[in-house]
Amino acid sequence: MDKIKVTGLKKSFGSNEVLKGIDMEVREGEVVCVIGPSGSGKSTFLRCLNLLEEIDGGQVIVDDHDLSNKNSDINKIRENIGMVFQHFNLFPHMNVMQNIMFAPTELKKQTKEEARKQALALLERVGLSDKADAYPSSLSGGQKQRVAIARALAMNPDVMLFDEPTSALDPEMVGEVLGVMQDLAREGMTMVIVTHEMGFAREVGHRVIFMDGGYIVEEGTPAEVFGNPKHERTISFLEKVL
Amino acid sequence: MQKKIMGFLALLIFFFSFVGSLVPSANAAEAKKTYTIATDTTFPPFEYQDASGNYVGIDLDLLKAIAEDQGFEYRLQPLGFNAAVQALQSNNVDGVIAGMSITDERKQTFDFSDPYFEAGPIMGVDEQNTAIMSYEDLRGLRVAVKTGTEGAAFAESIRDQYGFTIVTFDDSTQLIEEVKAGGSAAYFEDYPVVAYGIAQGNGMKTPLGKEAGGSYGFAVNKGQNAELLEMFNAGLANLRENGKYDEIMAKYLGESFASEGGEIEIAATPQMRGLELIGASMPAFLKGMGLTLYYTIVSLFFAFILGLIFGSMKVSHNKVLRGIATVFVDIFRGIPLLILAFFIYFGIPQAFGFTMPGWTGTAAVLALSLNAGAYVTEIIRGGIQSIDKGQMEAARSLGVPYRTAMRKIIMPQAIKVMVPSFINQMVITLKDTSIMSIIGLIELTQSGKLVVARTFQSFEVWLIIGIMYLIVITILTKIADRLERRISRG
Repeated sequence: MDKIKVTGLKKSFGSNEVLKGIDMEVREGEVVCVIGPSGSGKSTFLRCLNLLEEIDGGQVIVDDHDLSNKNSDINKIRENIGMVFQHFNLFPHMNVMQNIMFAPTELKKQTKEEARKQALALLERVGLSDKADAYPSSLSGGQKQRVAIARALAMNPDVMLFDEPTSALDPEMVGEVLGVMQDLAREGMTMVIVTHEMGFAREVGHRVIFMDGGYIVEEGTPAEVFGNPKHERTISFLEKVL
Repeated sequence: MQKKIMGFLALLIFFFSFVGSLVPSANAAEAKKTYTIATDTTFPPFEYQDASGNYVGIDLDLLKAIAEDQGFEYRLQPLGFNAAVQALQSNNVDGVIAGMSITDERKQTFDFSDPYFEAGPIMGVDEQNTAIMSYEDLRGLRVAVKTGTEGAAFAESIRDQYGFTIVTFDDSTQLIEEVKAGGSAAYFEDYPVVAYGIAQGNGMKTPLGKEAGGSYGFAVNKGQNAELLEMFNAGLANLRENGKYDEIMAKYLGESFASEGGEIEIAATPQMRGLELIGASMPAFLKGMGLTLYYTIVSLFFAFILGLIFGSMKVSHNKVLRGIATVFVDIFRGIPLLILAFFIYFGIPQAFGFTMPGWTGTAAVLALSLNAGAYVTEIIRGGIQSIDKGQMEAARSLGVPYRTAMRKIIMPQAIKVMVPSFINQMVITLKDTSIMSIIGLIELTQSGKLVVARTFQSFEVWLIIGIMYLIVITILTKIADRLERRISRG
C-alpha cells in the first residue's frame, strides 16, 4: 500500500522552477533516501510532502489525504507526518521534556501525564534519559538532533521526513543520530530521508532516488543505484561523493 | 477574521472614549445641562492660576457672577487662547471667555456678547531699557506679540512705518520671557495685562500710553447657544447695575480704575522665588507628574494592543493585511505627533460636529497611542522576524496551528528581543506627553506653564520640571533594565 503518492509535482520560487514534475510513491514501511547535488530540489521536494512549501502543480497524497486540495485540514494531516530538520529547530525557551510534550499536550492528543510518560520513553529510546530537564543550549548537536527526533515521534506519526539530519553535525556525532534512525527503520517506520550519507543510504535505504535539476533522474534499490548507475549524471555525482 | 478585527477596532475606540472620560480632570462632568466654557490659561488679570492652583481673574469672576445671577451651570476648560478659540469653532466647547477682542473678522465665525471690557494695546519694555522711548526707537529691532491679539494687530499696522520685525508667541508669559532674554526689544499686549504683570514685578515698564482699542466680549459659535449669549448679556447688565461689576474690576485693577475709568493701580503682591516657589508649587507638580504617568501608561497600553494587531498583520502571509498594517505604520510614523494631536483634538470634532466631555484626555491618549502604536508595530514585527523561520516550521510540522505556534513558540522568544525597544518607546512616550500640553492637557509640563504664567520664574520652574522628568525616567529605566535582565535569563 502506498503511504505517499506524488504525481506531476511542480514548485517554483518566483521565476525559478525548482521541481519540474516529480512522480514517485513510498510504500508503508519503506525507507527512501533522496540523494543529489545541492540545488537539485531534493529539500524542496521533501518540504512539499508536508506542505511546508506550497505546491504549484500536481498532487501529493499522504495516507489518502490530498495535500494539494485546499480544503484539507493541513494541521490534522501534519500530525501524522513527523519532520526532522537539518538545524534541529528545537524550541530554545523550553527544556527537553517541554519540547517533546509541547505538541501532544497543546493539540490535546494526550494528557500531561501521558505525554510525560511517553516523552520519558522516547528519551530512553534515543538514549537521552538524563537530559530531560536540560535546555537545548546545553546540548551537543547530536543530542539536539536526537531530541528533535523524539519530539517528532511524540505525535506518533506514520511517516517521518528527514531533511539532511546530519549535515550540521560534527563528524563524531553523525553516528549517534544515524543509529537512532536505523532503529526506527528497523521498527518499520515509513521514512523519506534527504541525505548526503551515502553509506547510510546504501545500508539502511530500501530505495534510493537520485534527483538533479528538478527531476528524478534515477531510482532503484541501493545496489542498483550505487552499484550499477545507469544515468550519466548519477555516475558523475556518485564519482564525486563516494 | 476581518470581521473580528473590525469588531475589535470598534471596541478599542469605545475604550479610548471611556478612558478619556475617566481621566481625572479639574472639571468633573455633571448630570444636568452644563455649558462648557473655554478660557486662556495665562492671561492675568483676566485668567490665571493663583498660588493654590485655582483659576481666577476678571473673566472668571465675571462668568461666575453672571452664572449665579442667571442660574446656569458651567464647566471651565482652561485651554490656552488659540486652543480655546479652535475648540469653540469645532464645537468642543459652548463658549469662550478669554479677554477676546471683538473684531469684524471674528464676527464672521462667532457671535459676541455686549462688550464687557474696553481694552487697547500698549508697548512694554524691560525696565532697565532706556533706549526705547517711542515707536521710532524700534527701527530695525524685534518686537514680540501674542497671536490673534489686538497688540499683534496694532504692531502689524505700524510695522512698516517704524521698520521693525515681529515675532509671534502663543501665550503672554512667553512675551515677557522673550523681552527679558533680550530676543525682542519690546512687546505689544493688551494694557490691563501689561499693567498687571508690571504690578506683579515682572520687570517691565511702559514708556508710552495705551492705544485706542476695541473691547472684549464673550463668544459663542455663530448661530449656536443663543440662550447662553442672552443670559450672559442680561447677567452683565445686572452686574453693572448692582455694582458687582465695579467690585470685580476694583479687585483686579484697583479702585481708581473701577470708579473713574482712570489709570490702573494694582497693589504689587510679593512674589515667591527659588526654593520657596518650588516648595509651594510641588503639590501641583506632583499631581502633574502623576497625570503624566497615567497618560503614559494608558497610551502605552493601547499602543501595545495596536502594535500586536498591526504587528501580526505585518508578518501575515495575507498581502491585504500586510498592506493595511504598512499604511497604518507609514501614516502614524510619518505625521508629527503635534499635528496628529491638533488633527484629532480640533479637526475631528469640527468635521463630524460632535462634542464630548473629556475630549482633551481622549484626544491626547488617541494621539499618543496611535503614534506609539506605529512604533510598537515595527518593534513587534522586527522581534517576530528576528526569530529563525525554522521555529515556526518545526511547530507547524508537528501539526500546531499558526496562531498557537505564534503565541507559544515565536512570541516568547521574540519578546526578549523586543524588550529593550519597548523600554525605549516607554521613555519616548512619557516625554511626548509634554507635547499634549498644547491641547490643554493637564500634565507635568502644563502644571509648569501655569506656575510660570503666574510667577514669571521660568528658570526655577523649568529646571525643577526637567529634573522631575529626569528622575522618573531614570527610575523607570532602571526598573526596566532589571526586568530585561530577568527576562533574558529566564
